[in-house]
Amino acid sequence: MTTPTDLPSKDDAAIMEAATDSAPTPAPTPYDVSVPIYDLQGVAKVYGSGGSAVTALADIDLVIEPRDFVAIVGASGSGKTTLLQLLGALDRPSAGKVMCNGRDIQSMSEGELSRLRRDVIGFVFQQFNLIPTLSARQNVELPAAPTGMSSEERRTRAVELLAAVGLAAREDHLPSQLSGGEQQRVAIARALMNRPRVLLADEPTGNLDSATGTEILALLQKVATENEQTLVLITHEQAVTEAAPRVVTLRDGRVLSDTTASTG
Amino acid sequence: MFYLSYMLSEVRRRRGRTILTALGLAVGVALVVTVSAVSSGLDDAQQEILAPLTGVGTDMSVTRPLTVSSDGQGGLGDLSPAEQRRLRRQAGPGPGLNLRDRKPGTKINADTFSATSQLTFASARTAKVAAINGVESAAGSLTLSANHITGTVPKIDITQGAGGPGGSGAPPTGAFGNGSIRFDARSVTGVDQSQPDIAPVTPSQIVAGAYFSATGPSRQAIVSSAYAGTKNIAVGDTTSLGGKSFAVIGIASSPIGGSASDIYVKLATLQRIADFTNQISAIQVRAKSAGDVSAVASRISASFAGAQVTTAADLAARVGGSLKDTRDLSSTLGRVLAIVGLVAAMLIASLLTLASVSKRVRELGTLKALGWSRGAVVRQISGESLIQGLLGGIVGALIGVIAALAINATGWTLQASVADTATTATQAAGGSPGAPPGGGFGLGQAAITTGSKAVEISTSPSFGLILLAIGLAVLGGLIAGAVGSLRAARLRPAAALRTVE
Repeated sequence: MTTPTDLPSKDDAAIMEAATDSAPTPAPTPYDVSVPIYDLQGVAKVYGSGGSAVTALADIDLVIEPRDFVAIVGASGSGKTTLLQLLGALDRPSAGKVMCNGRDIQSMSEGELSRLRRDVIGFVFQQFNLIPTLSARQNVELPAAPTGMSSEERRTRAVELLAAVGLAAREDHLPSQLSGGEQQRVAIARALMNRPRVLLADEPTGNLDSATGTEILALLQKVATENEQTLVLITHEQAVTEAAPRVVTLRDGRVLSDTTASTG
Repeated sequence: MFYLSYMLSEVRRRRGRTILTALGLAVGVALVVTVSAVSSGLDDAQQEILAPLTGVGTDMSVTRPLTVSSDGQGGLGDLSPAEQRRLRRQAGPGPGLNLRDRKPGTKINADTFSATSQLTFASARTAKVAAINGVESAAGSLTLSANHITGTVPKIDITQGAGGPGGSGAPPTGAFGNGSIRFDARSVTGVDQSQPDIAPVTPSQIVAGAYFSATGPSRQAIVSSAYAGTKNIAVGDTTSLGGKSFAVIGIASSPIGGSASDIYVKLATLQRIADFTNQISAIQVRAKSAGDVSAVASRISASFAGAQVTTAADLAARVGGSLKDTRDLSSTLGRVLAIVGLVAAMLIASLLTLASVSKRVRELGTLKALGWSRGAVVRQISGESLIQGLLGGIVGALIGVIAALAINATGWTLQASVADTATTATQAAGGSPGAPPGGGFGLGQAAITTGSKAVEISTSPSFGLILLAIGLAVLGGLIAGAVGSLRAARLRPAAALRTVE
């Protein structure tokens, strides 16, 4: 049985090829599981310059394999969000390399970065970041608007994704008419719209009560597993940390520990 | 469709800002529409005034004014002895008017013709002018002052009546010696009826009766409506001229600035009865191309010593009054006001869009995080501004049209005046003080209908103007969108997402 979010598809392959067309080095085959989805080598991020420079990240080496579920934890100001932004190709490192899907984001143009975010990465934000004037379905459709997907296909997929996150009857509701948990479900459906290889979640349960947070966490795990996606999330929640097979702990911009729970 | 839906929803969400931006643009657009409509109405009104001045097809007229310098010299001395003799004969009192040679109590009944301030010249000049490069056609005309005197030579002092010929249509009349001598001075113009379109009186001016026929009787007359009203003359009546009876075949209108001769007869007839054989006082000229008028005028001036060439453009400069003042105001201050209003509106729209983008940093950052390219974000912002511009344009055009209609409803009228340019030329030449000015006004007319006329201003914004106004508002929206988009395009998604709204 297939689900609406099954991977991979012919469309995905085409999109991936388009996203890597102008790469300076030959790109790996899309969804080549032998290539790490992320390979960070000596990554540093410094804001400002001179005496006012603030080092957010320093000397980060991190490899994340396809289908990994990684929780990044750390105290406030430890560099978690900066790391997530580098993983999400929202920013470029000050030093080192961030290899995503086999390509160095430093060498990619703005357009290539946009396509990378659109086709390879799905974002889930702590504050949901839904567009208040668009319905739940339209919010889910949002990432697919620039892809050239037909409006009918886009609509059908959005409806199916909303059904998959348990919001089949809420597709025409505006965000303001939904609860926090429901809004985060819409955000998860939106993140899945373009069948990304990786889901990046920034404190996805941070604005939810614990019961709803647990539901959302379970949902994220479920969809990531079903779609063979890599799941990287930032959290303060102990429950999330316990659920993640791998936990990377940051302190003062450096990796303090990188532990993987034993299986079996 | 998705983008449009998103744009419309954002425009609706930011209703207050949308209304403010659209209204700002609307004010600018309304100013443009109103000022342009008023300006167009003023142009139409001026055209209404100018049309009779320029005639149906006449581009210029050639006259030979007698000019006198400020020190009273020149003019006569420049004329040949033969011309000086002719001028004295033409401008001096006729044989029936020299009262010093008559004994008191003698009966007088005489008709005399005298030239006006323009020197007459040979009819053959018409053919020479017609042969000049760029001239399509030329027709000669002769304008004279016709004086009819009746009564008995008085013994007592003289009471002065009204002025000389010309003026506003009421012919000068008066009496000497307690009414013992009466005179009736009229202006009369002989026209080349074979070229009616460029004649001093044209068929289009006929308000009753008919125009001259090329083969009709020689003693036919067309009288101006003003003169006909004063003398109670109607079509079918007769009028006396040079002791001859003329059948009145038509009444011609004398709009302000237009023809002001009291009576029009055929040129050959006037030359014969006034003893001005082969003499004319003006040539009406039509150029082959409107663009050639100035060059043709120069060629005529160069080929005809002492000639004054008056073009339609010269005539337009003579229209004054509140119509001209308002039109000048409209073409300068009004246009500046409209441009300033429009620029201000665009500036306000740009600032509001910029402020809107600043408030949407996180939303735009989210779009970028979701994979929207810089171009897609720019298109979103520009599209929203475009919608606001379109709204502003429609509202502005509507306000402008209503304003224009409101102006019409008030029955706004302005005065157009045509001033006389009386000089001392005729006096120095021995003419009567009330004679027409040197060079005349109107294309070849001996006298013009001076004074003022009320013109109702009718403003009607054209469809093209409305489209242009909406286009300007859309342009304003696009500029505002471009300014906002520039800001949005520069957003770094990581920084945008850190923004707290």
